Amino acid sequence: MDHEPITIDVEGRSVTASPGRSIIEAVWEAGHVHVQGVGCLGGVCGSCRAIIRRADSTEVKMVLACETLIEAGMQVTFVPFLERLSDHPYQIDSFKDTWQLVSQVNQTFPEAAHCRHCGGCDSACPKGIKVERGVNLAVEGQLGAAGDIFETCIMCNLCSHICPEFIDPNHLGLLVRRVVPSLVVRPFNLMQRLNQLERGELYFDYEAPEASTEERD
Amino acid sequence: MTNGVPYETAWQNYQTGSSDPVQFDDSSKESLLKQFHPDYQTNTTTTLQIGANQGDVCQRQLAQVLQSNSLIDEVDLAGASIVDTDVLIIGGGGAGCAAALVATENDARVILTTKLRLGDCNTVMAEGGLQASVGVDDTPQQHFEDTLRAGYFKADRKLVSQMVMDGPDVVRWLIQLGMQFDQESEDPFASLSLKRAGGTSAPRILSFRDYTGLEMMRVLREAVTYRPGIEVWRSKPVVELLSNEFGHCAGAAVYDMRHRKLMLVRAHAVILATGGIGRMHLNAFPTSNHFGATGDGLVLAYRLGAKLRELDSFQYHPTGVSYPRHLAGSLVSEAARSAGATLLNGLGERFVDELQPRDVVAASIIRECEEGRGIDWDGQVGVWLDTPRLEQQRPGILQRFGSLRHLAHKCGHDPAEKPFLVYPTLHYQNGGVVIQRNGSTSVPGLFCAGEVTGGIHGRNRLMGNALLEIMSFGWRAGVAAAGLRHNAPHRRLTIEHVHKWQRELTLAGLPLDNHGPQLYPDYANFNLRAHIAGEI
Ligand SMILES: Cc1cc2nc3c(=O)[nH]c(=O)nc-3n(C[C@H](O)[C@H](O)[C@H](O)COP(=O)(O)OP(=O)(O)OC[C@H]3O[C@@H](n4cnc5c(N)ncnc54)[C@H](O)[C@@H]3O)c2cc1C
Ligand code: SF4
Ligand code: SF4
Repeated sequence: MDHEPITIDVEGRSVTASPGRSIIEAVWEAGHVHVQGVGCLGGVCGSCRAIIRRADSTEVKMVLACETLIEAGMQVTFVPFLERLSDHPYQIDSFKDTWQLVSQVNQTFPEAAHCRHCGGCDSACPKGIKVERGVNLAVEGQLGAAGDIFETCIMCNLCSHICPEFIDPNHLGLLVRRVVPSLVVRPFNLMQRLNQLERGELYFDYEAPEASTEERD
Repeated sequence: MTNGVPYETAWQNYQTGSSDPVQFDDSSKESLLKQFHPDYQTNTTTTLQIGANQGDVCQRQLAQVLQSNSLIDEVDLAGASIVDTDVLIIGGGGAGCAAALVATENDARVILTTKLRLGDCNTVMAEGGLQASVGVDDTPQQHFEDTLRAGYFKADRKLVSQMVMDGPDVVRWLIQLGMQFDQESEDPFASLSLKRAGGTSAPRILSFRDYTGLEMMRVLREAVTYRPGIEVWRSKPVVELLSNEFGHCAGAAVYDMRHRKLMLVRAHAVILATGGIGRMHLNAFPTSNHFGATGDGLVLAYRLGAKLRELDSFQYHPTGVSYPRHLAGSLVSEAARSAGATLLNGLGERFVDELQPRDVVAASIIRECEEGRGIDWDGQVGVWLDTPRLEQQRPGILQRFGSLRHLAHKCGHDPAEKPFLVYPTLHYQNGGVVIQRNGSTSVPGLFCAGEVTGGIHGRNRLMGNALLEIMSFGWRAGVAAAGLRHNAPHRRLTIEHVHKWQRELTLAGLPLDNHGPQLYPDYANFNLRAHIAGEI
């Protein structure tokens, strides 16, 4: 294995670190302070978004800096937290009438109907989600299918930043995911247990032998 | 640690080795833990010299930050702007969000301040699921007993009983907020799917795929962001709590990272929900935790006089990634072992019943490695987690584990072809701040919820109980804190308790130049004073 240090360019600074480091680790190893734009370090919070270009490529890519390894000559710019330009606030309990669900979703995200099919969102997504398709299905009213598309979305907002119509695709995706359980999912075993609890049928023995006999010190 | 079996040899042994069932002798569990589990090593602990737990045993690194001096001084307060609110919530994970939502439902104005961004936390990383007794062959009573047994009967019964009774209601609340759980079929009335966690008497784990925490956190984050009455502050870590003339908690000093200045928040009630300690890397272990898990809440609460418990008890998850190095500590979910994946050493042999409690499995892996039967892969040592044979025995099973496959991909291998190299990873803080049923602490005005608290898990946590705990106690603390909103405003906002603390440090001969809380791990090169001064 090659142990020669690797040099990359991070926002105009040259950063040298051992091979096998992620972009974030490389910045730390080179002694720089880097505490904003770091989150779970496990690829699920979307905090460490970065734009990179590899030495041998003209392509500019959006990646998560915690899971992207450094390569010689790589150029990196971190994407800071941007307040969203457009906003689509709603309260989930305002969705009450299932017959009105589709139109209410569309009223909450009115721009979604104007999708230009430009595919910008798809190319921005570090998780490979078919964002555009999800948006279009939601507009059509296929809420279940639309929600499933966003199943692995980490809410990094990159698709929202790039969308020229200010659709906020991932927030639309999350809304269609939320309305289904909120309004229609009523699991049998859970309801049964809640009823038992309500009727006070579940006797609770604080001092049951199983809860105390093995007491040790 | 001896280096162990070189990778090439171990790989050959792996390919020829067998995974035939082996009988293990577990009569020696206690001596195994004593000899190999980090909690039990005498050189890893010390006795606290000052504070509410004076005389208690405490992990060494934790003791050092608990007995540290404040990051700020009187001069820093002068000129800092003051903001008023009813309830100040510190921490933007699951517990903080649940508390915020419930506090506003109870008519309180809320500021939620967090060190990173909302949702950058341990909650979002949870994979396995949440325990709630909803099965027909299960009861809250069984959940209660399982939790106590797992924690070696050290847990606080009144906290556990309340939590297990809250379980079903927590699930209803999450579904109403829009969280999805796996169900037995597509039918919206289909029962919730239940999985059995190690050490439990009935299937009780509710999950969404193998990213339950992500599903939970994105729903909570959206709900909090859009809820009127909650102001969310990001990149604003709390560096000190504030006290009034009676020593009660009166608010907090917050550092605004972007504007490099301190601000003071005056609140009727403060809820600490700062999570765990993984990024303190206790005993030099890698961790599964998020970047901000540096134990800040413990340090802040202790300095203000709150009592803590089980300061020498931590959970090391058996299967953290060991190779490649940049992923060291990342969690391979217990689901793999639950489904039948075995652990093999460098000789290709099994060495433990993989479904034993986490502390036993972790100690066994450490034993294999310390005794030279681990695998040395380019300086990283561990044992195999045998996913390929699991896939051979149950074709298609790995398809169900999306997070596991994604992690394998990042490690650069196909989990159906190659096993993971794993080593225990620092995962969870079993103890923490002592609380009552409503989240209140021994300091009036200060509430705590979530991983920062102690008493629910005793000395060992059952898988899935943390996600339940953060909701149940987040709610309770939210209600109780909101109840204080009609109190007269605090007249004085001081750091009197810090001055008192400094006198105690001096009397005990402890250094004054050791500052805490840590805020960020050392390797991120942050220093508060240098940052305020604009030097970094
Ligand atoms: C990889 C992983 C997998 C897990 N899997 C499971 C599972 O399957 N089931 C289960 O039950 N449990 C699981 N757990 C445990 C569980 O996720 C956590 O215990 C729980 O989510 C903690 O929630 P919390 O709200 O208390 O803390 P966190 O979610 O960690 O939130 C703490 C918040 O406080 C902030 N903070 C910290 N310090 C400060 C400060 N000084 N000022 C302001 N803000 C601060 C943090 O940045 C963060 O936003 C897992 C944990 C990890 C790490
Ligand atoms: S927020 Fe958008 S870009 Fe980010 S993961 Fe979700 S769909 Fe992909
Ligand atoms: S970026 Fe916006 S407009 Fe373009 S395809 Fe995606 S959703 Fe449609």
